[in-house]
Amino acid sequence: MSQTLAGWSVQLLADTTTRLEVLRNDVLQAPAELGTLIGQTHAALMSANGVAAFTYIVILLLVGIGVEWLYWTYAYSPLRAIQSSPAASPRQALELALRQLALQVSGLALFTVAAIGASAAFSWPSGVHELVVAATLLLLVLRLAWMLIAALLAPGRGNLRLVPVADERAGCLAAVAMTVVCLLALGSFVPGVMERVGGASHVAGALRLLTTTAAALLLVIAAFAFFGSRGQGPRFPRSFVLALLVMAVYGIWLLNASAALLAAILAIVIALQIGLREIVFFFWQDDRDSVVPSIVLSATRFLVVLVALGVCAVAVDTPVLALAAAESPLVRFTLRLLGVATLALLTHVVWISIRSGIDQRLSRIRPRGPHAEPDEHSRLLTLLPLLRVSAAVLLVVMLVVSSLWALGIEITPVLAGAGVVGLALGFGAQALVRDVIAGVFYLAEDAFRIGEYIEAGGNTKGAVERITLRTVALRHHNGPLHFVPYGALGTVRNTSRDWVIEKFNLPLPIDVDSEKIRKLIKKVGEEMMADPEVGRFIMEPLKGKLYRVDPGVKIFRCKFRTAPGRQFDIRAQAYKRIEAALKRMDIGFADGKTVLLNPAPAASA
Amino acid sequence: MTLRSLRLVTGLVLMAFVTGHMVNLMLGMHSLAAMESWRPWLMGPWRSIAGQGLLVCSALIHLALGVYAIWVRRSLAMSKTDVVQLCLGLATPPLLLNHAVVMHMAGEVTPNFDATFGQMLAVYWSFSPGYAFQQLGVVMVVWIHAAVGLYSWLVLKPVWKRIGGMVLPVLFAVPILALLGFAEVGREVLEKLAGDPAWREHITANLRRVVAVTDPLNAMQSRLLWGYGMLVIVAFGVFGARVLRERLQRVTIDYDGGASAQGRRGLSILELSRLNDVPHAHVCSGRGRCGTCRVRIEAGPGSLSPMSEAERETLARVEAGAGERLACQARVTGSGVVATRLLPPWATV
Repeated sequence: MSQTLAGWSVQLLADTTTRLEVLRNDVLQAPAELGTLIGQTHAALMSANGVAAFTYIVILLLVGIGVEWLYWTYAYSPLRAIQSSPAASPRQALELALRQLALQVSGLALFTVAAIGASAAFSWPSGVHELVVAATLLLLVLRLAWMLIAALLAPGRGNLRLVPVADERAGCLAAVAMTVVCLLALGSFVPGVMERVGGASHVAGALRLLTTTAAALLLVIAAFAFFGSRGQGPRFPRSFVLALLVMAVYGIWLLNASAALLAAILAIVIALQIGLREIVFFFWQDDRDSVVPSIVLSATRFLVVLVALGVCAVAVDTPVLALAAAESPLVRFTLRLLGVATLALLTHVVWISIRSGIDQRLSRIRPRGPHAEPDEHSRLLTLLPLLRVSAAVLLVVMLVVSSLWALGIEITPVLAGAGVVGLALGFGAQALVRDVIAGVFYLAEDAFRIGEYIEAGGNTKGAVERITLRTVALRHHNGPLHFVPYGALGTVRNTSRDWVIEKFNLPLPIDVDSEKIRKLIKKVGEEMMADPEVGRFIMEPLKGKLYRVDPGVKIFRCKFRTAPGRQFDIRAQAYKRIEAALKRMDIGFADGKTVLLNPAPAASA
Repeated sequence: MTLRSLRLVTGLVLMAFVTGHMVNLMLGMHSLAAMESWRPWLMGPWRSIAGQGLLVCSALIHLALGVYAIWVRRSLAMSKTDVVQLCLGLATPPLLLNHAVVMHMAGEVTPNFDATFGQMLAVYWSFSPGYAFQQLGVVMVVWIHAAVGLYSWLVLKPVWKRIGGMVLPVLFAVPILALLGFAEVGREVLEKLAGDPAWREHITANLRRVVAVTDPLNAMQSRLLWGYGMLVIVAFGVFGARVLRERLQRVTIDYDGGASAQGRRGLSILELSRLNDVPHAHVCSGRGRCGTCRVRIEAGPGSLSPMSEAERETLARVEAGAGERLACQARVTGSGVVATRLLPPWATV
């Protein structure tokens, strides 16, 4: 192990030396080669070919400028309108910046397309067409970079700034960023053309070295100038980390250019992924409960990775299209993995929007306490969690199936197999299916909600405590918990809906005045109705009337209507109050005594 | 005649000349012979005494007005269009001088020198291509300068709505077609040089006559260039001195919506807006023509420069109310000015 490591280190050092030697060589030979290059260019220019090429270039410029000017005669007013609108929140600023960017990029695209398109019409001297296209692209990159930087930092337009930076710093930062972009663009476009057209590889190498070194130095200086320590208390300064990163990437670049690019992209992606949550929520700080930022966050995360992959592919000169057409299994697998990742992202976005929608709704209608009365939301309280689970299951199943499909695994046999197995299982799980479907209908028809007291078809009764896909849990008033499958629920007698009528009998002695008692009961009913404690549950006040006359007993039947579940307390109250009222009138309840009356003895005759 | 209209008229004269020249070049797409046969009609009038006088006077006046504009500038708070016009305008004389001197003077210093298209094209395409680059550059510079100038004048006119859609494409087609003509006829000239020894001999003989008088011409050119350079430097010097002298005298102005701007005393309200990034409409970029920059002065009208005749005219034309001023003309000479911008920053005419 240690030997491998040592060997690898030696190899690395040797590579480094070679590479540094090449760089040194480039720098040493560059001046002489540059002289030759300039001489060649001058000679090429000072000829009929040179004049023709220059004429064409001027025509291209005029075509591009003309088309873009025409565009701006229409687009300038909207741009001014965007630039001078006040942005109340960071999100609004983002919207405005995006609109501004769209306007500007359209103009730039028109310029580029017009220039490059027109360039196809001319017969160029050899090598010049490539030069022209490269120059147009360089212009495109530089202008695009400036548009992005201006959109982010908006120097001079505090209202549109997306990055929270002070006014006086924004301009500076923008200038530094643009300089770095310029250097890097110069270092990546010009040397290639020099090598291919002019054959001046040493000058190209030296130019690359020069621009990259300057960019790295500028970045390090900028890191120390712009990134102070953050927050409270001593923390490791970000500036130092940043400078270290830049130097590390630069060091890698010295050894291997494309590796450095990959490293830089990796660093940027990691930094973005770490900071993305904060960035996204910075723009949605006014409504943090909304679903949108979560979706935006996950989509952006995915997009960052995707863009990074794309840039990497371009950076290491992967012929993407050729690869896609090639039959290499690894490449196909990778592409399919990308497809799966896209599916996963889509599923994630859908899941987040469903979940946060349901959760928000739930948190809004959640009852105040565990023993609170069931209210009009209880059906939603019942259905929403069910819906959430079902959606999760459905999404996962869909994701799995479509991922398999995206991976190129033939899913028809799987589905067919699943169909056969499903058939077999289906016979076995008939009851299960019946339960589930019956449950759906019970809930859809709003037969019961959580908290309601129901009596099911069997002998089970109790308050609905929990609703699952297959069963409902009923808490009997004595404590036991029944788990009733929906299939066995049968007729449901829901005693918690709207109102209940309670009736009870009042046996009184036979000699009481019925009309007086009726009035007494009515009065008690009115008193109860007026009582703040119980009155609010009574929907129809207590009334009573003579119901039956038995030997020695007059039975009065009393009746009242209350909110469900309140009838027992209120009946007890009614008894109490009636008893007190009777006592005040000195009437007792009918006693069970039977009075035997002895008829008067007849005369003895 | 105001300076403004003088600049416009001289500019239009120059543009007419340049257009004629360009159209003549366009004929190169047909043939060299077509160019030569149309030359008397397209370029001839300018060779007459009156034409030449008009052209030279216009050029000198236009140039002088340009330098004067720098001379009297108060700040560099210009619109992008103005920066472009200034730079292109300044670049024109040095680029054009050589061509003008050769065409106008060579004929006078050298006997029977004929400045035909064939002659000049042979020089550009074969004998000294360096001049060609200069001329190509000048086509672009002069034409964009002219097009921008014409556009900013016409766009304020009501008629622009009707003719704008036709004029703009023509503005860009002219130089493109002229350059195409130049490229096409170049090929023809090269072939003719190779295949027609008599013509070649004629051209070289002509050329030798010019080369013989190169020295006095060059001396004259460099004297003119020096003079021009000094003029521009002096103009910038006067401008810089004014800025330096006034830099310590600061004034502040408040706008509607709580914005405020600070700057040197003597700047116009519009220049203060631009220097401080206060959004402010200005279609004609501060020439007092369009009236889009007008403001209502809510306080401190005494701290503003008095109204000029041009400003009064423009204000009357846009039917401005009492207490309104053109922000590009009203210069702030003291503090306490409060102005309300009357048009949104994206306003058009």
